[in-house]
Amino acid sequence: MSEPRVIDGREMEPPGPLEATLEALDTLPPGEELILLLTCQPHPLYQVLRRNGYIWTEAWDDDFTNVIHIRAA
Amino acid sequence: MSASLSFDQAPPISVPLRFFLTAPLFGIVAGLVLAFSGGEALSSRWHPVVLGLTHLLVAGFLLQAMAGALFQFVPVVTGGNVRHPRLMAGLTHGSLSIGTPLLVLGFFTLAPMLFTMAAVFLGFGLLALVLIVGMALLQTKAQGATLPALQAAVFSLLITAILGVTLALTIGKGIPLDIMPILEAHQTWGLAGWALMLLAGVSWSVVPMFQITPPYPSLLTRSFVPTMLTALGIFSSSLIFDSQLLATGSKALLLLVAAAFAGSTLRIQAKRKRKTTDSTLIFFRSAMVLLLVFCIGSLVLLVQPDLANHTEIPVALGILLLQGVFASTVCGMLYKIVPFLVWLYLQSRSAAGRIAPNMNKMIPPAHSRRQMWCHLLSLALLLPSPWLPPLAYPAGLCLALSYSGLLWNLLTVMKAYRLFISQNSVVAGHPQS
Repeated sequence: MSEPRVIDGREMEPPGPLEATLEALDTLPPGEELILLLTCQPHPLYQVLRRNGYIWTEAWDDDFTNVIHIRAA
Repeated sequence: MSASLSFDQAPPISVPLRFFLTAPLFGIVAGLVLAFSGGEALSSRWHPVVLGLTHLLVAGFLLQAMAGALFQFVPVVTGGNVRHPRLMAGLTHGSLSIGTPLLVLGFFTLAPMLFTMAAVFLGFGLLALVLIVGMALLQTKAQGATLPALQAAVFSLLITAILGVTLALTIGKGIPLDIMPILEAHQTWGLAGWALMLLAGVSWSVVPMFQITPPYPSLLTRSFVPTMLTALGIFSSSLIFDSQLLATGSKALLLLVAAAFAGSTLRIQAKRKRKTTDSTLIFFRSAMVLLLVFCIGSLVLLVQPDLANHTEIPVALGILLLQGVFASTVCGMLYKIVPFLVWLYLQSRSAAGRIAPNMNKMIPPAHSRRQMWCHLLSLALLLPSPWLPPLAYPAGLCLALSYSGLLWNLLTVMKAYRLFISQNSVVAGHPQS
């Protein structure tokens, strides 16, 4: 399996992280994972993921980074 | 942008937009009333015209904008489920839009019946808002510092509303009650508990997100709500037990916490990673500097209470806080929130392969900047008006012009929205809201 693609959205102004994540999900190979780095909980993205059959986990780093792992259910 | 994923945005776009587009109308009326009533009234904060103008700003402009922000912000930032958003927003918006003019007319005419009717409409509208947003905030499992600040703000709004309705009914029904302690409590819970707590809670999320700053210090975000609520509790006790010492101490604590919030915001903004300066950033920075000035001025008044005998000083401090701090931050936030929610809506409704317009270009930067300078000029004219009453005429006109500019800019976003909808097929199953 190849290295998961990482999107660092911590220095992007909204809606940049949402746009980049949705673009990446369009081309995400089955079984692979996308990692998104943010400084918040992106509830609009979670709604899209839930509605489109993706699952995700989130974990907060010590530097206030929310590390979100996304993959198809 | 994704061509295949579907969105499920809540609430419908019409829910927050009705508040955002109504709010500037009250600001325009406030400016025109000030221009045509003259500046003599600004000599005392208890003058009925000042109370009317104050409520055009707090219950008209600020409350409408903040209610709209809550309906939008709670689902988007905390994931809270605001139930029956169309119905509840309709009830809240309708009640506030009728109740506020009744209250303002009550101050201008001193007709008791108007106060009673205003109490009924505003009480009903605020109860609906507190119940529906409060339930969503209590049920969500969101993490972070924003949630407790929003919960405390909505609780404070409930206290403010109960006290305000009591005051209006006391005047309306001619009940013989000492209203000064209730007035003091209404004002303090409204400004510190509701408005400042909401501003801080929203800032914890919005400032780092939109201005690309480091996060607020955790010491501040963790201690802000408990300290503010403790100070508000002590302040309320001081009114019940008639203790000047408790009143002064609790007010000083509120001011110090507010100053810490303002100082922290300026500090993290100075460290922002994105160096471009837009209207929202200038609005926020100006507001935080003015909040520091307000805190220093109010602390001086606490130490030297005799200065309050110069009745112009409390009026100027009120202008500083309402127009300088709260109205400035609301203007700045509207320039981000409205384009963002329109973008989100259009993206969710656009046909496959179509890209929603760039949210940062929906309002031409030159237009928002022009309105911002007009807003700041109105403030510069307003602040000396209590001492120089003739300045109230240009200040009022400038104020009306500034809020007209805000409304125009928000309507520009709506034009982009309508243009996109008309040029693109709407995804089946997603009727326009």
